[in-house]
Amino acid sequence: MEPDKKVQSPEKATALSVEDRAFLQEVVERDRVEHHGRVSYMDILFEVEHRYGNFLPGEVLREVARLVGTSVAQLNGFVTFYTMLSTKPRGRHVIRVCTSGPCHVTGAPAVMAELERLLGVGEGETTPDGAFTLEGSSCLGICGVSPALMIDDDAYGNLTPKDLPGILAAVRAGGAQ
Amino acid sequence: MIRNQLLICAGGACITSGEKSVKDVLVEELAKNGIQDEVQIIETGCMGACDLGPIVVVYPEGTFYQKVTPQNAGPIVSEHLVKGRVVSGLLYRQPTSETRAQTREEISFYTLQVKRVLRNCGVIDPLSIEEYIARDGYFGLGKALEIGPDAIIQTIQESGLRGRGGAGFPTGIKWKAARDASGSPKYVVCNGDEGDPGAFMDRSVLEGDPHSVIEAMVIAGFAIGAATGYVYVRAEYPLAIERLEVALTRAREYGFLGRNILGSGFDFDIEIRIGAGAFVCGEETALLRSIEGKRGMPSAKPPFPAQAGLWGKPTLINNVETYANVPPILINGAEWFRSVGTAKSPGTKVFALAGKVQNTGLVEVPMGTTLRELVFDIGGGIPGGKAFKGAQTGGPSGGIITADYLDMPIDFDSVKELGTIMGSGGLIILDEDNCMVDVAKFYLAFTVDESCGKCTPCREGTKQMYQIMERITDGKGTPNDIGKLKTLGRVIQQTSLCGLGQSAPNPVLSTIRFFPDEYRAHIEDRKCPAHACLHLLTYSVVSEKCVGCTACARQCPVQAITGQVKKAHVIDQATCIKCGSCYEVCRFDAILKE
Repeated sequence: MEPDKKVQSPEKATALSVEDRAFLQEVVERDRVEHHGRVSYMDILFEVEHRYGNFLPGEVLREVARLVGTSVAQLNGFVTFYTMLSTKPRGRHVIRVCTSGPCHVTGAPAVMAELERLLGVGEGETTPDGAFTLEGSSCLGICGVSPALMIDDDAYGNLTPKDLPGILAAVRAGGAQ
Repeated sequence: MIRNQLLICAGGACITSGEKSVKDVLVEELAKNGIQDEVQIIETGCMGACDLGPIVVVYPEGTFYQKVTPQNAGPIVSEHLVKGRVVSGLLYRQPTSETRAQTREEISFYTLQVKRVLRNCGVIDPLSIEEYIARDGYFGLGKALEIGPDAIIQTIQESGLRGRGGAGFPTGIKWKAARDASGSPKYVVCNGDEGDPGAFMDRSVLEGDPHSVIEAMVIAGFAIGAATGYVYVRAEYPLAIERLEVALTRAREYGFLGRNILGSGFDFDIEIRIGAGAFVCGEETALLRSIEGKRGMPSAKPPFPAQAGLWGKPTLINNVETYANVPPILINGAEWFRSVGTAKSPGTKVFALAGKVQNTGLVEVPMGTTLRELVFDIGGGIPGGKAFKGAQTGGPSGGIITADYLDMPIDFDSVKELGTIMGSGGLIILDEDNCMVDVAKFYLAFTVDESCGKCTPCREGTKQMYQIMERITDGKGTPNDIGKLKTLGRVIQQTSLCGLGQSAPNPVLSTIRFFPDEYRAHIEDRKCPAHACLHLLTYSVVSEKCVGCTACARQCPVQAITGQVKKAHVIDQATCIKCGSCYEVCRFDAILKE
């Protein structure tokens, strides 16, 4: 919930290129048309986050706030409320380990511990090479194959710690499951 | 000319088990055998039996193949479809005998279910509106437009349908309140922010039968006089969002959405709004704020959403499963709906079986079904011959139903008497290895994390309760901790702003009520009877049994075990990290875990 200092930084605000500004304007305008004048912050921010390496830089948020016609504080409040949006840089791939009840009782803690060991980072951290951010997630809704995790939009289930090196290698190599 | 259809379960769980590769192999095999034009492959929504996935069903016979892999999928084509010989190795083996089931009708997991909400899940291609229509889809809408708003609401009221999202509020009353409310425009919202850990019926309905929700929302819009609907879906469910988008487009093309629906003069359209990992957004007032582009924080009721909801306008909000019940009620009538279930909770309920149970997955049964039928007859009992200890219902807002109540009919009201709630239908089965104090602490940690922070009892109170629970599981509990937890719990229940806080103490209060001995063992004996709380666990060597094979010493990751070859070994308690690897590796039963 801590405010992102970059949002208030005027010199950063000028860091956006012409292409950035055109992109953001296009995203917001398209969303405005799609939603009959009432923009969906979430749709816009997900798309923007995707382009800027899985996070929302302060200068980008500032521009989005201007385009949708709200204050930076209001938009920042929105962003920091939702755990799937981030104002801190994240890796190219976001690993979300389900930490909910069914996964907890069938072995999620061991999966998380092994990922921390394999990646050398703790929960909420990003690997130094920028490949992975490791996060805990609320229920992924695939409890029938718990413990489970998602990497980007792909889900993996019935996990044991020994499955993890193979999954990470496949994602690193660019292939999904 | 199509002679066979191959149904492949493309539910979220089967996809994780390799459904896509299985499908690729089947497509390839069909082409190899030159029968690709005679056999149609259909990817369906969730078939429910997640632990048996990936599942392939061959029609017209209905042969049910389970645990299909890319390696063993080939014979389904080369043997079954080409030579007419059933691939018996892929059939489901009955747990109680050596026989194998040919079809779903022979598997008790399926035969004891009554599929109403899940009527199309695992049966049709969710991306095909034609298949939905072929199963009476949009017929309920047609009927609704014919009979008019008052008769629709009367039918829903007579059916006795209650909200499937957790609280069990009568749906008809909500609809009537939204219709009677003054103010314009009005909105229809579908709550698909299924956040209860262990509940995934809404995901399965959205992924497996999205049109059923769309149809119900159009009916609701017509009944209350709204022109716009919003489906709020969690970003954790990308497949549900994708299939819903396709379904909305198809529905527009067919004139079930948009202007002048079915020539009635009624206009209605639906947009998707996405949630992004805030559990509290499942609370209806919080969800509405989130759609408005604000922080998803709840507000006090009244005013109820039916009076002042989205942008302050009258808003009808129901959960996914509730909506999925609506079209069949309009087609078949209120009496039909009441023909199963209990007097006060008619109809069916979808439960998600997860945790320590043989058959995991989604099951739909009449309200009033007992826990014993769910866990043992449908669920196949507890794996590894362990003892059933309890079922956690209602996620972090619920509590435990213990073995003493296995034969109690489950409905909204009976579970409430036990201090828990039905919730959205997640049933997490716990066995003797699960520590009830640990489970309660786990859920409390969840609510502490997800509390939005707006009201003090929830923000501060749950944190205090958590600290006491942590003290207990660390072996530092004091005898009056149980009393403190109870008092604090009651205050939080009575004074929190929204359902999240009001129900947050339930897991703790419920486990104190049914497992007081476990709490006492943690506090007075500093022991965890289930051996789950690490701080209370010790591993030691029983010197009479130890033969000095050194296996444990070699396995120990922190060199906490010392001893000479062929002499009894010793574990240094200060160094031991309680990983249990010595316990696993010892072949002489010489490691004592207590």
